[in-house]
Formats: sequence, structure tokens, C-alpha cells
Amino acid sequence: MMDDSTMKIDYAPYDDATQTLRQIDKYTPSATRVPSAPLIERPLTLSERTGPTELVSKWNVGKLDLCRLAPDSPRALGQLIHVTGRVTDEDGAPVSSVVMEIWQANASGKYIHELDDHRAPLDPNFTGQGRLVTDEDGRYEVFTVKPGAYPVLYSGWWWRPPHIHFSILGTSWMNRFITQIFFPGEVLNEKDLLLNGVPSRDVRDRLIFKPTDTVMGDLSYIGYQRDFVLRGHRQTPELP
Amino acid sequence: MKQIVSPGCTTGPFFPVDFSDGSEDLSQRNGLAAKGQHIILTGHVLELGGKPARNMVVEIWQADASGIFRHPLDPRQQDCDPGFWCWGRARTDADGVYRFTTIIPGAYEDRAPHINVAILGIGLTRPLVTNIFFDARADVVFECVPAELRSRLLAKPEGDGVYRFDVILRGENETPFFVE
Ligand SMILES: [Fe+2]
Repeated sequence: MMDDSTMKIDYAPYDDATQTLRQIDKYTPSATRVPSAPLIERPLTLSERTGPTELVSKWNVGKLDLCRLAPDSPRALGQLIHVTGRVTDEDGAPVSSVVMEIWQANASGKYIHELDDHRAPLDPNFTGQGRLVTDEDGRYEVFTVKPGAYPVLYSGWWWRPPHIHFSILGTSWMNRFITQIFFPGEVLNEKDLLLNGVPSRDVRDRLIFKPTDTVMGDLSYIGYQRDFVLRGHRQTPELP
Repeated sequence: MKQIVSPGCTTGPFFPVDFSDGSEDLSQRNGLAAKGQHIILTGHVLELGGKPARNMVVEIWQADASGIFRHPLDPRQQDCDPGFWCWGRARTDADGVYRFTTIIPGAYEDRAPHINVAILGIGLTRPLVTNIFFDARADVVFECVPAELRSRLLAKPEGDGVYRFDVILRGENETPFFVE
């Protein structure tokens, strides 16, 4: 992304038909935290068109394996999976050398987090979080275990289906990106407030992993794939 | 062929605490201290009814003391202060308070000194973005905000280098946010 084409990237406003709704019925925190006033339009200046592309140098970012502490350590409990995908812009051009942050519950649905009150066990071999950097083709990969479902305790009824959280720092302030990706065929998917807080079936499908290969060998695992498209497209050249 | 932008979603409650640690202080980088006026930038993140929003992630992006961003789009990138991180991240505590150690950014071209802020967390399926300003001088983004609301985007000096900026997500005195 550091080539000359970066200089001509433009950012159209998000198309609401392709995005998760801001206010989701029954997702009560959205009622008290989403602003009531309309968002204000502004011109995009250098300040918005730049962003923290240097974070690769700030953090120790390398290969990512969430399900063992060191290459010769025992694996975490749960179904070993390999998650892969590619990050591009709206033109399909790779978004390379950006930091991706990943976090998830362990196989029993427990996060390593001080505010997780779910009474499920932690797994000493599961790190549950990490950072990686996209390669020159915008690709990423991570070994992990399939996360467990977990209850949203305050709600009294809502169980989150298995999902993995992704955060991409992007190439500018305008394409900072955070999402959650779900697993196909999960019964809990049907009732999840967030997965169903989208305007259409089509948008929902883009929040779900695609199963890829099942691999057998020294390491046997199931593959899942999810590509991400960040906002940003090259400006259309003016006709002479 | 034009690709459809991926749908975002909330960070939820369990954004790793480690992901914020060490990023609240922008004022030291690679063993060097940042140039410019060092400040503490702090405030509450509040939801409807003035209740503290705990465990929210606050991210900032700003120029160095000379108004330079460390990014390939900035023609002066090479001169960006090697002692300054232009980016920071903090998490609100049980009282909804965030706190950064940073510097007052420099002005450049059509922009007055300002800090980009994004709020992420429970209840927000998309980041909420706004700007913090230090005074009401002319600025192309500041002037997009209705005049009667502009004071809400000013950080308030409290002495000893402390600047307060409260983020009111919803309700009375709601912070003006920009189209993200
Ligand atoms: Fe989660």
C-alpha cells in the first residue's frame, strides 16, 4: 500500500445496506450509546487519509498460533482450525503490511478477560489473542481452536454463537475495521442479536466463515476462510 | 470489479486488555521523548443519563508538534518526530475514565491543532469518530459543526498540563460525531 496508488485512494461513505445496523432492537447497549443526533459530514483532509501504518514496528508481530504457548508446547483443548483469508480494498487490491488483531473465547466459551464472569474453565494452553501482519498479497492465516458459545449473562437468555473477533488497523483513519465472524450451520446463529442485526441475508453471509479444506497429516485440522474488504478505492481518473 | 465493503461489528466486552496496555503514552518512542508541549488528555466516556461507559476502547490519531503525520501520504513524513507515536489507544476504567499522555499537535495547511478520536466498545457496531480541538480558530472540519455545538469539541485546560475532554455518547450535551 506504500506505492504511488495509495496517493489516489478515496473513501465513499459506508453504504448502510452493506453494514450492520447502528441500532439493533433488543441489543440494549446500542439504545444508550449510539448518538441521537445525525452524524456530521466533513471534508476528508490529510488527517483522515493517514493512519497508523507504522504499528508493525511498535508491536512484536509475527506468525500467529493462538492454541499453544510455544512451538513445542501442548495444544489447547478443542477442535484445531486454520483460519485464512485476504484483505483487499474496494478495487480488490491487496491491503498488505497492516496489523490484524484477533481474539476469541476458548473451546469452553471463556475469554481471558477480567470482566468475563461466565463460569467456564480457562485453558492454560490457549492464548486467545494475538496480532499478525498481512503479507504482500494481503493474506493472513492463524491456527486456533473453534471457540465455544457463551452466555451474555445480563440478558438472561442470549447465548453468543461461536465467533472470532477481528480488528484491522488499516491504512488510514478511514478504514479502521472491527468485526466478528461466525461459523456456518450453528443453531445459535439464528437468534444472535449481532449476527442478525444486519439489513439482509447477503450481509449476514459475509459475517460467516466459509469451510475450506479438511487436512489430514502430521497436523490434522479443519480450514475456514474469510476475506475482508476495507473501504477505499482509487479515484476515477478525469476524462481528458 | 468493485468489491462490497465488509460489514463491521462491535468489539464486544472482551477486547483484550493487553491490546491497550502500553499505547496510552504517545510521548516516548524508541527511547526518545517527543518534542512539543506534553499534556495529559483525559476525560469520561458517558452513555445516556450520564452513566460511565466502562471498558470502552478509545483510539487517537494526531500529528506531531510540527503538524506532521508518520504516514506515506504526508509529504513531510521524513521529518516526523522520531520520539512521538502519532497513534494511541486507552481503555476506560470502572468510572468511564480514559487517560493519554501526548503532546499538543501542530497546525498544518487548513487544519488547526486537533486530535482524531474513535470510540469502540459494547453497543457500538461501528466506531464513533470525532475531533478534539484546543481552541476555536478556523478549521475546515470544526466549521462543519453547528456553531452552538462547537464548544463541545474543545479540550478544557485544567492546569498542570491536563486537558479534559469528555465524550458523551448520547443524551444531554451529546458530543458531535462525524460520518465515519
Ligand atoms: Fe465475543
